[in-house]
Amino acid sequence: MAYVQVSQDPTKDWRNGYLLTTLKGLGYTTKVFLRQFFRLEKTVTKQWPDEEPDYSSRFKGKHFLTQRPDGRVRCTACFLCATNCPAQCIKIVAGETAEQGIEKFPVRFEIDILRCVFCGFCEEACPVDAIRLGPEYTMAGLAEEKWVYTLDHLLNRPAIREKIGAAQLSKKVENEKWNANANH
Amino acid sequence: MTNTENTLNAEKTQNLVNLTIDGKPVSVPHGTSVIEAAKKIGSKIPHFCWHPGLSVAGVCRLCMVKIEGNPKLQIGCNTQVTEGMKVETKHQEAKEAQKWALEFHLVNHPLDCPTCDQAGECKLQDYYMQVGRYDSQVNEEKVLKPKALDVGTELILDTERCILCSRCVRFEDQVSKTSSLGIFNRGDHSQIGLIPGRRIEHNYSYNLVDICPVGAFTARDFRFKCRVWFLEKTKTTCPGCSTGCSVSVFGNKMEREYYRLKPEVDHEVNGHWMCDYGRKMYKHCNASARQSVPQKNGTPVDWNRITNELVQELTKARNKKVALVLTPQYTNEEYALVLSSIKQILGTTPTVFIWRPETENPTEFDGVLFRGDHNANTKGLERALSQANIQAEIIRGNIEPLKNANPDLTIVLGPEIEMAYGNIENTLQSLSKLSNVVYFGVTLSDTTKQFSLTVPTKVFVEKNGTYLNYNSMPRKLIANAPVFSQIMGLDDMFAAALQRIEQ
Repeated sequence: MAYVQVSQDPTKDWRNGYLLTTLKGLGYTTKVFLRQFFRLEKTVTKQWPDEEPDYSSRFKGKHFLTQRPDGRVRCTACFLCATNCPAQCIKIVAGETAEQGIEKFPVRFEIDILRCVFCGFCEEACPVDAIRLGPEYTMAGLAEEKWVYTLDHLLNRPAIREKIGAAQLSKKVENEKWNANANH
Repeated sequence: MTNTENTLNAEKTQNLVNLTIDGKPVSVPHGTSVIEAAKKIGSKIPHFCWHPGLSVAGVCRLCMVKIEGNPKLQIGCNTQVTEGMKVETKHQEAKEAQKWALEFHLVNHPLDCPTCDQAGECKLQDYYMQVGRYDSQVNEEKVLKPKALDVGTELILDTERCILCSRCVRFEDQVSKTSSLGIFNRGDHSQIGLIPGRRIEHNYSYNLVDICPVGAFTARDFRFKCRVWFLEKTKTTCPGCSTGCSVSVFGNKMEREYYRLKPEVDHEVNGHWMCDYGRKMYKHCNASARQSVPQKNGTPVDWNRITNELVQELTKARNKKVALVLTPQYTNEEYALVLSSIKQILGTTPTVFIWRPETENPTEFDGVLFRGDHNANTKGLERALSQANIQAEIIRGNIEPLKNANPDLTIVLGPEIEMAYGNIENTLQSLSKLSNVVYFGVTLSDTTKQFSLTVPTKVFVEKNGTYLNYNSMPRKLIANAPVFSQIMGLDDMFAAALQRIEQ
C-alpha cells in the first residue's frame, strides 16, 4: 500500500518557512511600490471615471434597440427575445400599423433590468437584429430610480447615439463592409 | 355530408376492408381514404388540403404514399382503400416526394414568421421539421402578393402566405354556404380572394382561421395579442348557447389571461366547427372584466368572512319570505347544491324565479350550430327544478312578479354571460331597490354596490360540472386555475355554509 507520510513532507524545509516567505513577499511589494512611485513602471489601476476602461467591442452591456435608417424602431414585436429570455425580463405589447412594409411593431417594449442576467440570449434570438447589448457598462443608480427601461430609453438615449453613431447599420451590412475590407 | 360522417355511416353497415399500412394490419369501412385509415393506426401522413370536415380536393400533393403494385406514388387523401392493399407512408420514395412538395409550397412563401400569428402552430413549420429539412435550391425572386387585406368583420387575409390548399374556399362553399372566396389568376400568380361584391360576414368566419394550415387568415380578435407558444389549452364546453359545443380555451397561465377559444372535434355535437359568438366567451373570464372581491353594502369583504356573511343573511331570513332568482347559466351540480342547501338552512322551500333575457327566441336555429337560446343550461335548470318539485315563474327584464312576492330576502344567481341578456343594468337597478338582496355574479358595475351582499362567482372555465344542452345531452366543464386565486365557487361557499349551520 502506497501512501504519503505527511510528517516527512519533502517540501518542508526552512526555505519554505513562514519567516523567509513573508520577507520575500514584502520585498516584492516594496520593489513594485518604489518602481511605481518613481514612475519606472505603469500602474494597473484605472483612474475611473477620469479614465475610461477599454472594453472589447463585443462587450455585453446595457441593451439598446436599433433603428431603421429613418429612425423608426427595427423591432417587429415577434416576442422571440421574450421567449428566449431565461430571466423573463422582457415585456412586449405588439401593435398593428397600416404603414407600407411594416405590419407589426412594438407599442411597448420594456426590460426589467433588475431581473436581466446579461446573457445576450435576446440578441441571439432576434431575427432582425433589433436588440443588442451595447457598450455602456455603468448602470448603477438609486433605489428610487425606474429600473424598467422603456422603448424610448432603449431606442433614443443619447449615449447610444454617441457611442454607436446615429446610423445603426444592421449586422448584415456590417458584415458585408467587414468582408469587403478584408478582401482588399 | 362530410367524409367522417360518411365513414361513421359506413361503419354501421359493417362493410370492412382489410389492408396493411406500414406493416400494420387495419380494417376500415369501404370508402375510407388511405389518409383516414393511416390516422386510425397512428401513422400521420402530412397533408395541407385534406380536412376531415370538408370534401377532398387533392391539390396540395403532400400526402404522397407508396402503394404496392402501383408504378407511381398516390395521394393518400383521394385514394380509397381496397382489399389487401399494402401502403407504405414512410417509404423512401414517398418521403422524397413529400419533402420536395413542401419545397414547392415554400417557393413563394414570404417566411415572415416573426410577424405571423400562425407561427408556432403553422403546418409549414411543423412539416418542415417532420419531413422537410432540406437546403433550399430555389434562387428565384419570390412573387409578391397583397398583404393584410380586410376581407371581413373578423378576418384579415395575407395572400402571400397562402399555399392555395383551397380549404377556405371549400368551407365557404360547403359549410357556411356563403361562397365568398375563390382562387383567382393562374400559375404562381394564383391567389385567394373575395368574389367581387362579397365579404366574409357570417357567424362562422373564425373557422377559416382554424382550418387555414398557414397564416393566410388571421383573426382580428387575436391578432398580435399573444404568441401561441405562451398559450395553454383547457378542453371544456362553450357556454355561449344551448348547443354546448366542445371547445378548448387558450390562456396564458403566467399572465392569467385568456385569449381565444377554438373548437374541439366532437361528432355528436359540433363536428369540427364553432360560431363567432362562442369565440367571445373568453372575454368575461379575464380579470379586467370581473369583480374580484365580495362587497357588503358597497364595502369590500374578505373572502374568509364570506361564508359567515352568507350564513348570517340566510339565518336572519328563517321563517320569512325568501325568493331565489336563478339564471340558466350555472351547472347542474350548482343548481342541485344551491336548492338543497338553501332549503336545509331555511327549513322551507324558497319561491323560485327564473330570470331570462328580455328579448330572445329560444327555438331559433341557424342550421349549423348556433341556437337562439343563449343560455347554456336551460334544460339543466328545468330538470333541477322538477327534481326538487318546484314551480318557477319566469321574469324577463320586468321584475314585477318578484316585487309582488314581497320577499324579505332575495338571492340572485346572476348571469355569467351578461352579453346574452342585452343590457342588464336596468334589471340590476330594479333589483337593487328590493329590501335585502344577495347577488352572485361576475358583473363589474356600480349598481352591484347597492346590494346588501355581492359575491363574485367563478366563470365556466374555472368550474367542474355539467350542462345539459338543447338535446338534454350532458356537456362536461373542466376547471382551470381561477384568475383570482382566492375566489370561492358556489359549491365551496354553500358547502361551507351548510357545515357552519350544522355545528
